[in-house]
Amino acid sequence: MSDTGPALVSILRQGSYLVASVHTALDDTQMLRFQHDLVERIGTDRATGVIIDVAALDVLDSFGSMTLRRIAEMARLRGAETVIVGIQPDVAFAMVRLGMGPGEVPTALDLEEGLTYLNGHRDGQPGSADRPPRRPQRRP
Amino acid sequence: MSSGPSVDGSAQNAGLEAVERVLPVVRRVVGARVSDPHLAEDLVQETLLRIMTAWDRIEASMVEPYAIATARNVVATMWRDRDREARNRHRALDLSTPEAPEDQVVLGEEQAAICEALGRLGEQERTRLLAHEVSGQDTRSLAAEAGSSAGAVAAQLHRTRARLRVEYLLTMEPGPPPTEDCRPVLLALSGGSRRRQRDLGVGRHLLGCDFCARVAEPLLGRAEAREDELRVPVQGDADIVKARQAAREVAAKLGFAKTQTTLVATAVSEVARNIVRFAGRGEVLVETLSEPRAGVRVVARDAGPGMTNPQEALADGFSTYNGLGLGLPGARRLMDEFVLVSEPGRGTTVTMTKWLEED
Amino acid sequence: MNDENRPQGDVDEDQLLPQLVAHLREHRAKLRDEWASRIREAHLLEAMSAQEMAAETTSVYDNYVEVLETGSVEALQHYARDLSERIIPRGVETHEVVGIVLLLRDVLARSLFEKYQNDFALLNRVLDAYEPAANRIANTVAVSFVEERERVIRQQQDAIRELSTPVLPVRERLLILPIIGSLDGERARQLTEQLLNGIRTHRAKVVVIDITGAPDVDQTVANHLVQTVDASRLMGASVIITGLSPKIAQTLVTIGVDLSKMNTIGDLQGGLEEAERLLGYHVSTEEGITSS
Repeated sequence: MSDTGPALVSILRQGSYLVASVHTALDDTQMLRFQHDLVERIGTDRATGVIIDVAALDVLDSFGSMTLRRIAEMARLRGAETVIVGIQPDVAFAMVRLGMGPGEVPTALDLEEGLTYLNGHRDGQPGSADRPPRRPQRRP
Repeated sequence: MSSGPSVDGSAQNAGLEAVERVLPVVRRVVGARVSDPHLAEDLVQETLLRIMTAWDRIEASMVEPYAIATARNVVATMWRDRDREARNRHRALDLSTPEAPEDQVVLGEEQAAICEALGRLGEQERTRLLAHEVSGQDTRSLAAEAGSSAGAVAAQLHRTRARLRVEYLLTMEPGPPPTEDCRPVLLALSGGSRRRQRDLGVGRHLLGCDFCARVAEPLLGRAEAREDELRVPVQGDADIVKARQAAREVAAKLGFAKTQTTLVATAVSEVARNIVRFAGRGEVLVETLSEPRAGVRVVARDAGPGMTNPQEALADGFSTYNGLGLGLPGARRLMDEFVLVSEPGRGTTVTMTKWLEED
Repeated sequence: MNDENRPQGDVDEDQLLPQLVAHLREHRAKLRDEWASRIREAHLLEAMSAQEMAAETTSVYDNYVEVLETGSVEALQHYARDLSERIIPRGVETHEVVGIVLLLRDVLARSLFEKYQNDFALLNRVLDAYEPAANRIANTVAVSFVEERERVIRQQQDAIRELSTPVLPVRERLLILPIIGSLDGERARQLTEQLLNGIRTHRAKVVVIDITGAPDVDQTVANHLVQTVDASRLMGASVIITGLSPKIAQTLVTIGVDLSKMNTIGDLQGGLEEAERLLGYHVSTEEGITSS
């Protein structure tokens, strides 16, 4: 990753939420750096919710999916809930084929839906993006 | 032939005078025979150089005739070289004439190497090759002598040339090839047959054998380059992204729907990561298939540590790095065909195919 | 033209075709009209008006002679495809197209008979030169026509296939996907693609997949269905499956699907009510509909 090039990801604060957008395909090293930076920001910003927008990703393979799950898990330990938004139709299908079905991390169509979901949860109402998250369907 | 033109001070001055005297004549002679002005100027310069070198040996009255004869010779040599170059472009040996003194030394070494390489060929092979390449005997008359067909003779000559190239390259090496696979691999590369290369596992051998990787360098271009094939060297994280983008590109060009190209790209991402994690380096080859029907084939190979139990790696949840262990079994689910070949100490090759849906 | 009686030795082999072509050019109008009347007699191309007939026959005739002359079938192939494209939508059948080309071949052969009848040996040689060429032309036209026809049929099938898996936006954020008829792997794949893209375009939050109309679901398709449900959820949409027959439920269990994790409702009506509940609309009927 070149530090002088265009930003690969951006992490913006919106109220008590963080909106993290991935702008282009990331390799594994860049993905890990993204994980590190985002988890760091959750702590410094005392965020209660995180939206990760992956609409620009054309592939989410096992490593990419795992990293997103790990971020969500670490965010939860720091008191923030994570929702992943913008998974493309073809990417979603490939993820399922690969064996990365919907896990415990909630997903929503886009940024707007992601915000609605987080707001619904914080107010203790049933999430409007989905019923309350189901238990994971993780494969053995 | 090792002494170049030696030009001392006085001769140089005399030479310059000569140039002024004969320049118009040389220009006229060359200009009448060569239409390309740049080429003509080169030939004029070359002629002048030769006259200058021979200056002390030319009698004053003979300068102009000498210049005319030299100019005509230079032009004739140029045409002959061009003709010979065109005729011999496909051949094994470089028949162009080196000019500079250091080239002569290299040429001497190369001639020795070629002689030795020729000596390693079989008697019949060598005789035939020399008859064809040097004496210019055509394949038909060679075939008549041998009682076989011109096609068969041409094929045999092709094999002999391939061998000669390999023997020549090996002669230049200080030691013999390290393994008994090396020579067949080099021969397959030199012959340019893709099928033979595939049968021998040439790609994998080159990844693991530094000797062949070095020796084969001049041979690598011999297999015709193909448009419908992309080769991505994989050595680091960034190459995983490159490999999957290459796969997507090839699949899309072939007419795969977006959902399908994403399946292929994701599978490639998994196998490429496997190379980076376990072998450090390797390559991903993406090619299109037309038989038995249209499809994309991905070959991911490395010469890494290999696996003791490949079946284990294909079971869900088996993971030796920080993942879910979905890599290889997941890739298998994404593709139509998936074959994993691995041997401890020799490396791993994954070959997987996705067929284009018929509509 | 008084060469009918020339001894055969005077005509070189490679002069035969050019001579023949010159003959066909010279008598173009007459031969074409004869051909057209033979087409009418045979009741071919009745879907065409007299004007169209005249235009098409002239065009085919000229192409035909040109192919005889140049031996290049490319122009003819091109023309045959073009012709097919125009006449297939009007219901012209394969036998008609093949029929008119064979008629033309015979009309021209007969005129060659007349021309060379006095020199039997020469006639034989002319026919030897003509027949292979003419047969090749007939072949080319027939093949091009059949290919074009198959292409059109394929297109229509695609269109029908798309219609048979419609993604219906019934109200804001709600899609219904009724699956009607048997599903094969290819159709299942298209269905998934349409549904996932539909979720994106309609910004759907809830999808009801109604499989009441699907008689048979084998393991491959059942797997595909489960994957479609999971992929929809990754995109943020909830999926309700309605009309699950005991047989299909059994198939799903066989392949290891945990039905308790699928939102399945007995019938479409119930499914829609559940969908409205998920979308946050008030439903006047029973409060307590839950997923199994």
